[in-house]
Amino acid sequence: MTTTNEVTIKNKPRKKKTVLKNAPYLRIEKINKWYGDNHVLKNISLDVKKGEVVVIIGASGSGKSTLLRCVNFLEYTKNGKIYIEGKKISKNEAQINKTRQDLGMVFQHFNLFPHMNVLGNVMEGLVHVKKVDKKTAKEMALALLDQVGLSDKPDVYPSMISGGQKQRVAIARALAMDPKIMLFDEPTSALDPELVGEVLSVMTDLAKRGMTMLVVTHEMWFAREVADRVIYMDEGVIIEESTPEEMFTNPAHERTQAFLKQILPQG
Amino acid sequence: MIPLNIIPWDLSVIPSRFFLFSEAAWYTLQITTLAVLFGLIFGLIVALGRLSSNKILSSLSRAYIFLIRGTPLLVQLFIIYYGLTSIVTIDPIPSAVIALGVHNAAYIAEIFRGSIQSIHYGQMEAARSLGMSKGKAMWRIILPQAFKRAVPSLGNQLIIALKDSSLASTIAVPELMLRGRQMGSSTFMYMEMFIIVGIWYLLMTSVLSYSIRAIEKKLQVSDRDNN
Repeated sequence: MTTTNEVTIKNKPRKKKTVLKNAPYLRIEKINKWYGDNHVLKNISLDVKKGEVVVIIGASGSGKSTLLRCVNFLEYTKNGKIYIEGKKISKNEAQINKTRQDLGMVFQHFNLFPHMNVLGNVMEGLVHVKKVDKKTAKEMALALLDQVGLSDKPDVYPSMISGGQKQRVAIARALAMDPKIMLFDEPTSALDPELVGEVLSVMTDLAKRGMTMLVVTHEMWFAREVADRVIYMDEGVIIEESTPEEMFTNPAHERTQAFLKQILPQG
Repeated sequence: MIPLNIIPWDLSVIPSRFFLFSEAAWYTLQITTLAVLFGLIFGLIVALGRLSSNKILSSLSRAYIFLIRGTPLLVQLFIIYYGLTSIVTIDPIPSAVIALGVHNAAYIAEIFRGSIQSIHYGQMEAARSLGMSKGKAMWRIILPQAFKRAVPSLGNQLIIALKDSSLASTIAVPELMLRGRQMGSSTFMYMEMFIIVGIWYLLMTSVLSYSIRAIEKKLQVSDRDNN
């Protein structure tokens, strides 16, 4: 995991500028996270290549959501490092704000802005972060709503649409920032079963368009069909990492086998 | 039938004297409006200070709320009008506006703090994940929602402020209450005059509560139900 192809500018011990050669699109390096005495992420490292769809599975409490939140700096880690296109992200406020534009985040509970209509939600980042003029932003937002199948609902407020529709708006809102990587934190866990499909199909479509995705989910169907790589986490550690085929037909690790046996329908 | 002359007051003077109080009512309204405007702006600043991660700012705000909420408005008014005279003399009306404004800012700060904290943290996270700074997320995403939740309590505070402005009569501001006392002592019709004063207050508070309800309704556009 830990390749040492780092080029470090020396003689400046306090301000190291690190650039990786042949860098992966996203690199997570030795992330540790504690909640009090609870060590929830234990030295996690992970690379994601451009265009790759990586799905993280694992029981609740395994740290998979926390890992995703650390990538987006919604949780702070003490000494972990995150690189995007080989550039290390420093922990100063301005750079984090800038980096977050490259990382589209989709939350379990949507977190749409309830005081804005659907169009307003998608336009918000464009107009007020990217400073796109309103007319252009509106066109872009409408195109994105079309992409997620909601072009007929721009004027509706979030409280009036279904959970599946909310999540699709949330995806459009994240896509509006033109992110390099999309992070999905259990995007279908808060949905009624009949609404899961519409969200997964938008995500599948996104994967087909070549979006780099890091997805935490319990939807094994999605992991099996769409992922390029599946990661199984347990107790803050990556237990196993392989292709979906390997993972679901021939898991190497005992804990993975036990988990999959529990979660997959028999036979 | 009770003969009307059993009542020891001449209530029939009320309509004819009613509009002798218009100017005083106008003072009451002006003092209250200015004080509440000040209270809203300064209260928001204090609320944000209280919620700030900056220790100095949050302790300053906390101290402000502690001092102002813990002492009577009348004491604050007298400190500003009488107490400060050795340094600076402030006229009655500005004194009343400052005291009432400072007083209301403390309460409004707590109203804002509560409503800001009631917004789910996911809203801040969603805003930040779009790349917004903390300040921008607060201004664009949190405050509009918080303000909407604060409207009923702010309306309540506005009505309290209007009635509290009657204390300005003690420092010779020619508002409703003082007018009532003057008219009472010159005519010896205290009951009649204070009934007029009461009606004026009631009129103004009625208009206020009606307007607040209208604003609340207008703000409810984005809710399907009352969540």
